[in-house]
Amino acid sequence: MDRETLRKLEMLNQLSLTDEQKDEVTAFFAKRDAELEIINRIDTENVERMVHVMPIMTVVREDTVNQPFTREALQQGAPETDEGYWCVPRVME
Amino acid sequence: MKYETVIGLEVHVELATNSKIFCSCSAHSYGADPNEHVCPACCGMPGMLPVVNKRVVDFGMKAGLMLNCDINRTTTFDKKSYYYPDLPAAYQTTQWFAPVAVNGTVEIETSNGRKSVRIKQIHMEEDAGKLVHDIREDTTHVDFNRTSVPLIEIVSQPDLSSAEEVEAYLERLKNLLRYAKVAECEMAHGTMRCDVNLSVRPEGTDILGVRTEMKNMNSIEAIKRAIEYEVARHIDAIENGTEVLVQETRRWDDIKGKSYAMRTKETAGDYRYFPDPNVMPVVIDDEWFNAIKETLPEFPEVKRARYAEEFGLSEYDADQLSKSIALCECFEGAVSVCKNAKDAANWMISEVMSILNARKMTYDMLNIDGKALGEIILLVSEGKVGRANGKKILAAMFDDETIEPAKYAEENGLVMSNDTGLIEATAKAAVAADPKAVSDFKGGKEKALMSLFGRCMKELKGNCDPQVLRKILIDEINKQ
Repeated sequence: MDRETLRKLEMLNQLSLTDEQKDEVTAFFAKRDAELEIINRIDTENVERMVHVMPIMTVVREDTVNQPFTREALQQGAPETDEGYWCVPRVME
Repeated sequence: MKYETVIGLEVHVELATNSKIFCSCSAHSYGADPNEHVCPACCGMPGMLPVVNKRVVDFGMKAGLMLNCDINRTTTFDKKSYYYPDLPAAYQTTQWFAPVAVNGTVEIETSNGRKSVRIKQIHMEEDAGKLVHDIREDTTHVDFNRTSVPLIEIVSQPDLSSAEEVEAYLERLKNLLRYAKVAECEMAHGTMRCDVNLSVRPEGTDILGVRTEMKNMNSIEAIKRAIEYEVARHIDAIENGTEVLVQETRRWDDIKGKSYAMRTKETAGDYRYFPDPNVMPVVIDDEWFNAIKETLPEFPEVKRARYAEEFGLSEYDADQLSKSIALCECFEGAVSVCKNAKDAANWMISEVMSILNARKMTYDMLNIDGKALGEIILLVSEGKVGRANGKKILAAMFDDETIEPAKYAEENGLVMSNDTGLIEATAKAAVAADPKAVSDFKGGKEKALMSLFGRCMKELKGNCDPQVLRKILIDEINKQ
């Protein structure tokens, strides 16, 4: 992985890595890329897509409203709330 | 050089379910306090597992079938990486690898004729919450009421080439989805939102130009203005080098009439979609698929043709009525009671639609019961209530859906009088009070009769057969 790709990944994941961490991540991905290269050689032309690792399907629920939780209970662990809102550091200039 | 515009649309539609897509919180938070309709699942709390709302899949399928799509009988959900506080899990649960519906078409009609717009896919996903930035300077306030409200996103191929076509396409989508009763599709309410992907290229070529995506348009008129602006900006950049076009997302400011760069456009890879391990595949078996197919409504054009053929309505009347499923249902309800389709169509078009227009209501907001309208039509045609009073009952029904026409007419003195003695006395008094009108009428001025007629009708509160009154009035004048 080149530094430009790493920079883009940092941005997409909202991370800021030290030089040491960058070296570590680059080395990690170099190994993974080599493994993926082997997998990519497999001919999957007529193989049906596996939709899930388990051979099971979802259960669905009926469209009924049920709200057993109060806002106060949900916000108990919040660092900050105000007038019923959760508060986060400002995201707009 | 002449240019042509290439437009593809991504339309988000909020589905009309009771509860959210993956939890049982209410999907309707209009007017609610912040975070009143939330639970650990839609708040993105660790360890919470989503459970799919069946009706969301029903509606996704139904929308797909209305848009001539193929339905993926095994449809799966995926995670889309997304870091913004309006989605607390740091991903959106959506569909990428196997969306519920693919490869559809929508037929549109514009001044240039008919056109088929290809639908790439329809996928089901959760909505994001709302952020409020103006309560305090240092923080953003987060409301998760809208988080996980079910949406479908309808992605078209880049087959549209003008603002007129975009308008026709959106109107057609709205009409079809409302017919199927899967969504309200009201842009002003935010239940239908549209992103426009646009590029321009030299006419007749198949090169794709630099594509920009525009967001933040809350009406079809705003979308049309935004398209016109963006086309001019692209052509200006190409011809005059006013700026370098880049692939980006832009925000439309309808007040200033300009678009502004928001961010460079992400590519699909940037979202790092991956199968959501928490939601198992949804397998739509034959029984489920056929049950949904059976609930599909008649398409508007099928209804239009049937109204003309079965009820003998004019092309214009059939076209007017089939504009909205609410109008159709009201009309069909009225016909089932009054058994006179032409009369019912006439009441729908001249009375019901006028009231809707006067009250600035859309056709889909029609809230009166068709059977009650049928009763009014019967009361009028049987001579029990005058047409003017029938209209009064209809207007009252717009304010109170529970009104029973016959009872209301009785209670409010709107029933036609058969009391000829009363009509004669009223005519006599009117004639005595206006000798000029009497002499004018006798002198050949037909209009003079109308003033006497109007005076009597007012006195009788409209509860009188006009033909009977006219005859009695003329007899009374002739006695003078």
